[in-house]
Amino acid sequence: MQDKVEAQPILSMNSVEVLYDNVMLAIKGVSVQVPKGEMIALLGSNGAGKSTTLKAISGLLKAERGRVSRGEIKFEGTDITDMLAQNRVAQGICHVIEGRRVFEHLTPEENLTAAAPSGMSRSTLNVEKEKIYNYFPRLAERRNSLSGYLSGGEQQMLAIGRALVTQPKLLMLDEPSLGLAPFLVAEIFGILQKINKEDGMSVLLVEQNALAALEIVSEGYLIENGRVVMNGTAAALKANSDIQEFYLGAGEGTDFHNVKHYSRRKRWLS
Amino acid sequence: MDWIFLSELAINGALTGLLYSLFAIGLVLIYKASSVPNLAQAGLTMVGAYVVLALARDLGLPLWLAIPIGAVLMFGLGFGIERVALRRLAGRPVVMILMMTLGLDIFLRGTTLAIWGGTSRSMELGVSYEPLFLGDIFLSRIHVVGAAVAIALFVAFMLFFRTRTGIKLRAIADDYMASWSVGISVERGVGLSWALASVVAMAAGVIWGEIQGVDQALSLLLLKGLTVAVLGGLDSILGAVVAGILLGIIENVGADFLDPIVGGGSRELIVAAVLILTVMIRPHGLFGRHDIERV
Amino acid sequence: MFYRLSGVHHANYVSDSRIFKVPADRNLAVFVLLFGLAAPFIVPSLYLNSYMLPWLIWTAAALGLNLVTGWAGQLHLGYAAVMAVGAYASIHAARFGIPWEFALIIGGLASSVIGSLFAFAALRVKGLYLALTTLAMQFVMDWVLTHSPAITGGSHASLQSPTLALLGQDITSDTGYYYVAFGWCVLVTIFMLNLKRTGLGRALVAVREKDFAAAILGVNSFYYKILAFATSSFIAGVSGALLVATFFFLAAPEQFSVAVSIQVLAMVIVGGLGSIIGSYMGVALILLVPGIVNGLVSGSSQSLGMQINVETLAHIPNAVYGALIVIILLIEPLGLGKLYGNIRDYLMVWPFDQLRK
Repeated sequence: MQDKVEAQPILSMNSVEVLYDNVMLAIKGVSVQVPKGEMIALLGSNGAGKSTTLKAISGLLKAERGRVSRGEIKFEGTDITDMLAQNRVAQGICHVIEGRRVFEHLTPEENLTAAAPSGMSRSTLNVEKEKIYNYFPRLAERRNSLSGYLSGGEQQMLAIGRALVTQPKLLMLDEPSLGLAPFLVAEIFGILQKINKEDGMSVLLVEQNALAALEIVSEGYLIENGRVVMNGTAAALKANSDIQEFYLGAGEGTDFHNVKHYSRRKRWLS
Repeated sequence: MDWIFLSELAINGALTGLLYSLFAIGLVLIYKASSVPNLAQAGLTMVGAYVVLALARDLGLPLWLAIPIGAVLMFGLGFGIERVALRRLAGRPVVMILMMTLGLDIFLRGTTLAIWGGTSRSMELGVSYEPLFLGDIFLSRIHVVGAAVAIALFVAFMLFFRTRTGIKLRAIADDYMASWSVGISVERGVGLSWALASVVAMAAGVIWGEIQGVDQALSLLLLKGLTVAVLGGLDSILGAVVAGILLGIIENVGADFLDPIVGGGSRELIVAAVLILTVMIRPHGLFGRHDIERV
Repeated sequence: MFYRLSGVHHANYVSDSRIFKVPADRNLAVFVLLFGLAAPFIVPSLYLNSYMLPWLIWTAAALGLNLVTGWAGQLHLGYAAVMAVGAYASIHAARFGIPWEFALIIGGLASSVIGSLFAFAALRVKGLYLALTTLAMQFVMDWVLTHSPAITGGSHASLQSPTLALLGQDITSDTGYYYVAFGWCVLVTIFMLNLKRTGLGRALVAVREKDFAAAILGVNSFYYKILAFATSSFIAGVSGALLVATFFFLAAPEQFSVAVSIQVLAMVIVGGLGSIIGSYMGVALILLVPGIVNGLVSGSSQSLGMQINVETLAHIPNAVYGALIVIILLIEPLGLGKLYGNIRDYLMVWPFDQLRK
């Protein structure tokens, strides 16, 4: 516990507010710290502001007429709140956006090339590609067919691989498990864990699938209505009864005949 | 029907068609990277021709020097146009973007003519007017040269789109958001596509200027260039080349059949008909992508 | 200050569906109307006939295009072709001896029929592809006009318009021409003002926003698209006919070329899609400013003793016209109408909004 406080977090967001179109307040003072080399999850339901938080970090808000209206985002100690998206990638932040948006008319091989930083030499790029194909052998098999025709799981792997080519220090993933079969989720999460352990890459994971996410992360933040409402270690979150009821689908052996006729409210919302 | 005559028509049509392709390649480059239909391509073509002419005639530079310098200037112009005019409109409805390119077209043409005057001038590339014989078939040398330039540019762009920068441009065309997310500078990519299209426009302007003189009429290429680009598929360079050859042949052979019937001048009509039929039957063209707006 | 209320607050549906929701707007409209009526007595006849008259007729035409592009959201790059149909149909009818009142209606109806052909393209594609199809149709129409001597007298010929006569009254004076143009423009404007209060107007907007969503609401988008094209073409046809009858006096194919189609679209977009007052301003800007700038340039060059090439002078209006489109789109993509609206909204609460800060 002691050295965790001393270690400078790779990313720290301090009470960040995001405005869309100058009117819509999407997140209202979110503070998140990602310690170096750790894997952190942002949990929460639809529209809670998880994706917006990631976009604020990666600089993609601009494309959606959004902006950070208050607070600051620091990456490795430097303020990146107003930096251009491409410069943040160069600094080492890469965002795997929601919905497996690969370049559909390019092959996986070209998808990886497209993401290569302009300064990267051809040999380094090839080494990176081989590394990615090692992580995802399925991609290697289909490296020369059009990405639009890959299966959902393969596209998600490609999206992650494409992000890895940029050699990020912080990898952010937005719902990588969305619409995938459970065994594929397990496979992808396994690889994420491996990347996190072997390369020491920090990972910020946004998930609705809290059950799967809490298995692999060390710490989690729970976001509701644009605010962080709970934060703690994975074990602590898993043990929390509210989390169990609302996100983990617990309540083992509930006899639905005896269930009480009022629905419990999430306590932190009022 | 005389077969030699027909094949002469077809071959000359194909050569002219490749010159349309030269124009259309510029349109395709921009559409490919940013889905902007560049109706200012005709204006750019005119500017290109006049710039080379001004360098060669008014400054007295030799052509081999005037053309590269012209290319550099046009490259800058294309970059500048995107930076100043188009970037602010990104994400706006297509009607505004169309209007912007039309406005640019009018502005470029007006400015060019205001600076250099509207009287037709000749390019004088030094290509001989002696016809070339291919068996019994007459060919015009400048058309052959132009077709060669078109094919050379086509090959160059096919290779370019395999390089890392080219792949990035294709990635931008696919998905802006995903491109930003992996650190591709979308703005610079789109600017580059405008710059390249302007250089292509200059090439088209020089060749067409040699054929029909450097004047306002260069802007009439727009309909033909658009038709070629749409017929080939707005985002396919291969399509632009194939469709150019096709349209050239259809136009040349068709005009030969139709002209006696309607009393001349049926080329425009054929081109317009091809454009309408393409949009009605196969809006994505021969080689274009499928994702298009349909009702 | 200028508006005697602060903001717009409606207490009932009737007040919300008024044409002029703010009294000051109505007063302004009445003032402009009175000025328009009195113009022949105030404005010198040179200005009346070479500036105000074409401005009014082009505004009527632009409003027609605004109906199909601004309200129904269908791109149209062949509007001049439709105007040509109306112009030629009316003039031929009038030359044939049909009274002008009916000749104008015949022109409008002929335009409606041809204009509806454009709508069939709109039933199949939209956006860019519709623009390209209508552009191609414009070229086809140009070709037909220049190649059919029966209609136009051939490619370089022109067709004399017979003397305009309405309600049994020959119209030959400048004032008379002006009032015809003024009357037509007012008629179209009233129609357009009321359009947004009708089911038709709402259906068109629904089709523009999302045609399949409109279809789910029971709005037959095919029907409304054809209706929009037919109505707008009617306006185009009559405007085209009046343009020839009161301004050009001779009909020639070049008056309705592609460049003119682009010009009308530019008027509509510079003015603002779907904005009526914007159309007035857009037409004024596109039609009048290039000439004014040219006058300024030649005037100042003369007074400064500089020699400007005649050719340069001849092409400056075009450069200015292109630059105007670019500049307006950069300043406010929604056009002059939106700029005017912004200023008006600002003044509506001025100076009280200062109190908040």
